[in-house]
Amino acid sequence: MQVDHHAASHLIFGWNPLWVATTLFVVTYLLIISEKINRAIVAGLGAAMMVTLGVLNQQQAVAGIDFNTIGLLTGMMVLVAITRRCGVFQFVAIWAAKKVEAKPWGILLMLAVVTAAFSALLDNVTTVLLVAPITLLITDELKVNPYPYLFTEIFASNIGGTATLIGDPPNIMIGSAVGLTFNDFLLNLGPVSVISLIVTMGIIYFIWGRRLQATDEARERIMQFREREAITDVTLLKQSLTVLALVIVGFAFAHPLGLEPATIAMFGAGVLLLITNIGRDAEEQSEDVHHSFGEVEWVTIFFFVGLFIVVAGIEHAGLLNILANWVTDVTGGDMTYTAMLILWVSAVASAIVDNIPFVATMIPIIESMAPTFGGSENLEPLWWSLALGACLGGNGSLVGASANLIVAAFAERAGHRIAFLRFMALAFPLMLVSIVIASIYVYLRYL
Amino acid sequence: MLVRDAIIHTRVVRPGMPVRDVFDECGRVHVQSLPFVDMDGRLTGRVTLKNVMKIACLPEHMVHTATLLGSFLSCVNNAQDKIKELLPSPVDAYVRQTHVWIGSAEPAIKALAIMEKNDTSYLFVVDDGEYQGIVTIQGIAAKMSEMYAESLMGQ
Repeated sequence: MQVDHHAASHLIFGWNPLWVATTLFVVTYLLIISEKINRAIVAGLGAAMMVTLGVLNQQQAVAGIDFNTIGLLTGMMVLVAITRRCGVFQFVAIWAAKKVEAKPWGILLMLAVVTAAFSALLDNVTTVLLVAPITLLITDELKVNPYPYLFTEIFASNIGGTATLIGDPPNIMIGSAVGLTFNDFLLNLGPVSVISLIVTMGIIYFIWGRRLQATDEARERIMQFREREAITDVTLLKQSLTVLALVIVGFAFAHPLGLEPATIAMFGAGVLLLITNIGRDAEEQSEDVHHSFGEVEWVTIFFFVGLFIVVAGIEHAGLLNILANWVTDVTGGDMTYTAMLILWVSAVASAIVDNIPFVATMIPIIESMAPTFGGSENLEPLWWSLALGACLGGNGSLVGASANLIVAAFAERAGHRIAFLRFMALAFPLMLVSIVIASIYVYLRYL
Repeated sequence: MLVRDAIIHTRVVRPGMPVRDVFDECGRVHVQSLPFVDMDGRLTGRVTLKNVMKIACLPEHMVHTATLLGSFLSCVNNAQDKIKELLPSPVDAYVRQTHVWIGSAEPAIKALAIMEKNDTSYLFVVDDGEYQGIVTIQGIAAKMSEMYAESLMGQ
């Protein structure tokens, strides 16, 4: 996020820009957390007020928007929206369940792995939206309680999303701001994500797995699933998987190619839209493109735009420098202490509130600490701590991540309510276990 | 051609009417929805076959995994059993808000345009607040074909 600190801002009524910006930021943040008003509306109005009241001028506001994040999110959303139509996700879920001969614990394990893998490459919300119905169908047939399965899939989606640049919005934001590549995330966060998943599954086995039972008759019904019937469009399957694979390869080679992730994602989306519309007349193309773009979560996109401007406002006003200095004072400029503080505070905060505004605020704060630690190239432990805390912390409660709420809502509509406190009673300590693992990992690897 | 030329006269649904009666009427006149009137005879809603089926025996996860369903699944058999339980039950729980409507003296083309705009295949026909019947795309198409055949015979 590049903001011109030197351009003058003209506060109306001659108010102190720091106070105006801070007040706007706090009010915006509180309204977002309260969920009384749609967050895109709040962020948009907060951004508009930053400009209207003179904290930023319009040029500064636009400069504060991280278009790489916006482009990456939009491109991936289009890609996923088209790909999901072919039924490949359901195919993989059923195939995985049959691979373990429909044994209840085996299915739980396989669905967790499938969820984690998809979440690493696609967005968490889409992944759980596609896996949850299959889960309910299977558990219905096996006559087992779906709660352990849904709980595990929530955890798997957040852990899987931690592993890559594109797996979770906080990673996209951090990667874009700092210049960390797809490979950087995979090599640095991949291992700890795998370890966290293994340990989490071990604990879940101890709590539920060893007691999951199903009759041979019920398992036989699952084995009769014809996963091939999940594929609704073979041509689309081939097209979308090819483009997705090329996009992932593009991410892996982005650095030598000198390309930003947003370029690769948008290029992939454009290519997939093109090849899926070859041979269609103008009206059909218009309808398809309309439909594909209609599935982009524009609320999320505009939320990001507004949020970036709000954060640019407080950065311009100097609040983030003050906060960065406060953190440095608290930690005494000690890297280990700072990294652990960021990791644990991010985790707890992300369990309670939306991690996106938190990460958006933390990025410039950490950037401001560069002089304390001898340059921005030495901030790596802090970035990984922020990413791990923000992503894994989302497992701490039902409101910790969007995917959690999606699963809970779906389960409730199906008659299997996931109560907030019941979920948190196990989820929060389990999340803390993953943060302990992350702490050990960060300490051993970077400190 | 006017709407009244293609109108299908149907019974109305009243509070407490069993679902089976709705199914019978819809099957008899080949429509997918019937108007719901209150105790005073005022048109206050509609009952659609799609909505009844969805609420009664199609949980969301079965819809999402529709292509995978088969008769080997107990959930499919359970759903069929639920329909049997559903038939004698009152239809009141399945009433939805009132649908778009059109007057009987309006052109049939206008009916088609309103259907297209609202992404539906039927409209209720209402004159001065009184339900007259239902007009469907199928009904209009059948009437157009009949009128064309009559015009050929007339030649």
